Amino acid sequence: MRARYPDHEGFVERDGVKVGYEVYGQGGPAAFLVPASPITRARSWKGLIPYLSRHLTVVTTDGRGTGRSDRPHGRDRYGPDEVAADMTSVLDAAGIRQTVLVAHCHATPWALGLAADHPDLVVGLVAIAPGIAVMPGHDYTVEPERRWQEEVVDPTGWSMRNRDFWRNDGGYRRWVEFFFDQQLPEAHSTKQLEDSVSWALDTEVEAMIAEREGRNAPSYPGGAEDLCGRVHCPVLVIHGSDDRCQPLARGQRVAELTGGQLVVLDGSGHLPHVRDPVRVNRLIIEFIEETTGVAMHTKVWSRGLTRPKRALYLSSPIGLGHARRDVAVAKELKRLRPELELDWLAQHPVTAVLEAEGETIHPASGWLANESAHIASESSEHDLHCFQALRRMDEILVANFMVFQEVVDEGLYDLVIGDEAWDVDHFWHENPELKRGQHVWLTDFVGFLPMPDGGEHEAFLTTDYNAEMIEHIDRYPWLRDRAIFVGNPDDIVADRFGAELPAIRDWTEEHFSFSGYITGFTPPAADEIPSWRAELGYADDELVCVVAVGGSGVGRALLEKAIAAYPMAKGQLPALRMIAVAGPRIDPAEFPTYPGLEVHGYVDRLFRHLCVCDLAVVQGGLSTTMELAAAKRPFLYFPLGHHFEQNFHVRHRLDRYGAGRCMDYATTDPDLLVAAITEDIGRSVPYRDVETNGAARAAQLIAELV
Amino acid sequence: MRATEPITTGYAERDGVKLYWEEFGDGQPTIVLLPTWSIIHSRFWKAQVPYLARHFRVVTFDGRGTGHSDRPAEAEAYSHLEFAADTIAVLDATATSDAVLVGLSCGALWGVQVAADRPDRVRGLIFLGPQVPLAPTHPDRTVYPFAERLDTTDGWAKYNRYHWLEGGYRDFIEFFARQGCTEPHSTKQIEDFIEWALDIEPAKLVASDEGLEACGLESFRSVCERVRAPVLVIHGDDDELAHHARGAALAAVTGGELVTIAGGGHFLQARHPVIVNHVIKRFVDRVAR
Repeated sequence: MRARYPDHEGFVERDGVKVGYEVYGQGGPAAFLVPASPITRARSWKGLIPYLSRHLTVVTTDGRGTGRSDRPHGRDRYGPDEVAADMTSVLDAAGIRQTVLVAHCHATPWALGLAADHPDLVVGLVAIAPGIAVMPGHDYTVEPERRWQEEVVDPTGWSMRNRDFWRNDGGYRRWVEFFFDQQLPEAHSTKQLEDSVSWALDTEVEAMIAEREGRNAPSYPGGAEDLCGRVHCPVLVIHGSDDRCQPLARGQRVAELTGGQLVVLDGSGHLPHVRDPVRVNRLIIEFIEETTGVAMHTKVWSRGLTRPKRALYLSSPIGLGHARRDVAVAKELKRLRPELELDWLAQHPVTAVLEAEGETIHPASGWLANESAHIASESSEHDLHCFQALRRMDEILVANFMVFQEVVDEGLYDLVIGDEAWDVDHFWHENPELKRGQHVWLTDFVGFLPMPDGGEHEAFLTTDYNAEMIEHIDRYPWLRDRAIFVGNPDDIVADRFGAELPAIRDWTEEHFSFSGYITGFTPPAADEIPSWRAELGYADDELVCVVAVGGSGVGRALLEKAIAAYPMAKGQLPALRMIAVAGPRIDPAEFPTYPGLEVHGYVDRLFRHLCVCDLAVVQGGLSTTMELAAAKRPFLYFPLGHHFEQNFHVRHRLDRYGAGRCMDYATTDPDLLVAAITEDIGRSVPYRDVETNGAARAAQLIAELV
Repeated sequence: MRATEPITTGYAERDGVKLYWEEFGDGQPTIVLLPTWSIIHSRFWKAQVPYLARHFRVVTFDGRGTGHSDRPAEAEAYSHLEFAADTIAVLDATATSDAVLVGLSCGALWGVQVAADRPDRVRGLIFLGPQVPLAPTHPDRTVYPFAERLDTTDGWAKYNRYHWLEGGYRDFIEFFARQGCTEPHSTKQIEDFIEWALDIEPAKLVASDEGLEACGLESFRSVCERVRAPVLVIHGDDDELAHHARGAALAAVTGGELVTIAGGGHFLQARHPVIVNHVIKRFVDRVAR
């Protein structure tokens, strides 16, 4: 799922070659994002488009040779004149009369040419890692360049940049993997590397060769320096100090020749718009404000001492459990600090809970890309690879962080509370100068763990993500003013972050405060249960089995399995009554009907039903299972396949409480399920007590900061 | 001790009136920090000069009637047209072809005039708490006539020539300084204002006040409409001297942008130097680089 879809998509066609373009937003100055096609394409701007299109009209193109565009062969189809004509056609088709160009690498000469020839059209130019021969290239590229058309035997490294080698089986892929590995020298760039390689493989080898050979067509008669000198609009050059494709000296020279400004990103490689989208977004917006004179920032500044104390609360929308505990923490916090104004930056379905509780939702919440929908799109039959789903959520996290940052830049908050607000915690550590106010990080698990069937590669990836997090905290200990683990030290798994990394428990005890578990409600005492049951319409002699699968579509498979077992279970337990809760995304009418079986959509305050049921059948999510543990009800739980949190972290915690029976979805047939239901239903369970003061303890830890 | 000393100082002379100017920094473009009503001299920009001079070239001058500049006696010498002409004279004397003009309070009157008459010399305009007749003033200020002898010295009755000339000048400037700094904890800013204002002879202040009365609402609006340079207005919403509506109207009539300082009074440059400096820098970067 993308963070932002185009408002308009189309093609321009010239001499039988179709080139795809996309338009986002419809207000403000225009920015045309030009990728260095065909080795990359429009998707490479995914970290920029959601943010920029809230302020600008953004146009981008796949460029000939990749993405949605045609892939003509022959070098004459890729000359600068051809590409420039594509660009003007795209702008024309998009109805743009004036634009800022944002070009990457070898798209820079195209953009310079357009700016020189159409000064009325191009009002500014941002060149990221400009690829233009105003200075020599890196030494190691010279020899491969010379031997481009020769046959080379068993090339490695840069000598893989060779026409015949690319045409060999698998040669192009090997080159691309090497090349982008070089271009992402920043540690912890696995996702950016995967993305870049996949975009590069989207073209055809012959298109790549044609573009490489066509690029040097003699269309800039005066040469590169003359081309730069003919540009008179404002220019911004963004260049990484460790760019192994285009030497920094080229960026410096382009800035000199065009009279532009140079921003050096120290430690960055060739793809800063991909690897550091937050910084690049802000540089582009500042440049466009300066060049167009259109201001896009705050117009009211309040004096320090006139400001009310304000907090911004972010509640992760992945699983509804966070919403209830965060509301409980917020209520305790308001009790401790009545003067504190509290806004929520939240998205559906969290907003539904907040609205019901009368909480204040910041209007910018409407700009957030929906994480819950992304998670749903990543799941299949009772399976959700939540680590990869989180990685693939990268562009949504950037998009939402940019919304968040604008809210805190303008909202003057004293305190930011993020309950697993991954975007805030990650990007503030990546861009520490952007921190505003005190920052509280809450989580109920620490450490990504690989699923066994992911093999060594998945273990490498989780280790890398954990290492980055540990380095973030070590380097910027002032970024999390308080880290709260929702639970107790014994709830932490015994694993390490990775082979060479610390034990998760040791590290977490050193870096976190512990609030104990936060249920968000107080379960009924034994003598209150009959009246709760009566209120909910459950008779004393009924055996109530609640089947609940959370708020996303991934629950359908488990519901079907439980309902399939119902007739047999009912045969063995005549008092059985099954309450199946499908949630808002599944239609209850899809299921068969039997006497004693009810299928509901949304159930208000489901925890009340869970608290008094005789058995529950649920997934392995922490919130629901811990509600059952706190209420001391027997339950069967089925962790989602490939969900490391449910399979390891939650399971470890439930084992500590002695709570629930863990079942394997794949191997549980109706017979097995019926046997488990009849065995456990109505059983009294000796679970360890779950504390009821977690919200108050968390609120106390937060209140100390304000 | 000053935070930064001028690299050059000098005098411009117009019709026998000498105007003392100072030059700081050597960046581009030039920022001219204009004089305001002749109750204080150019030191009121002391929190802006060091910062802006690190990024731009900065020129200040003492308005006629203040500081090291000459202090003509007659009211006609203090019309906004004289200040506008002084500004051009200082631009010439400092070899400044064009500049961004920054004005506080009444400084907006001549800033607008220069921009309307000499668009070639003005690249942008920034006004703090502009005291411009585009919207009504505070009702309290209209109760008592300036030129009549009153039987009270309460509140705005202190804004009265007889009070100033007959021993109440210090009483007035203390009152006026407090009205200009509505923010709590403004003691230093109030002391500075009083000290600078005590450098002015009451009779000269009477003359400069009467000189400014020449500028009527209708004519000023038409002057504003001739401005083509980009405009930024910064105005406190708790400004007891110049109503916030005046700044909002100036931004509207010039097509400029308005930055509101919530809880801010009139002397924004003194009381909120950091935000003011940053907003000025950002605007200059955008419109005049």
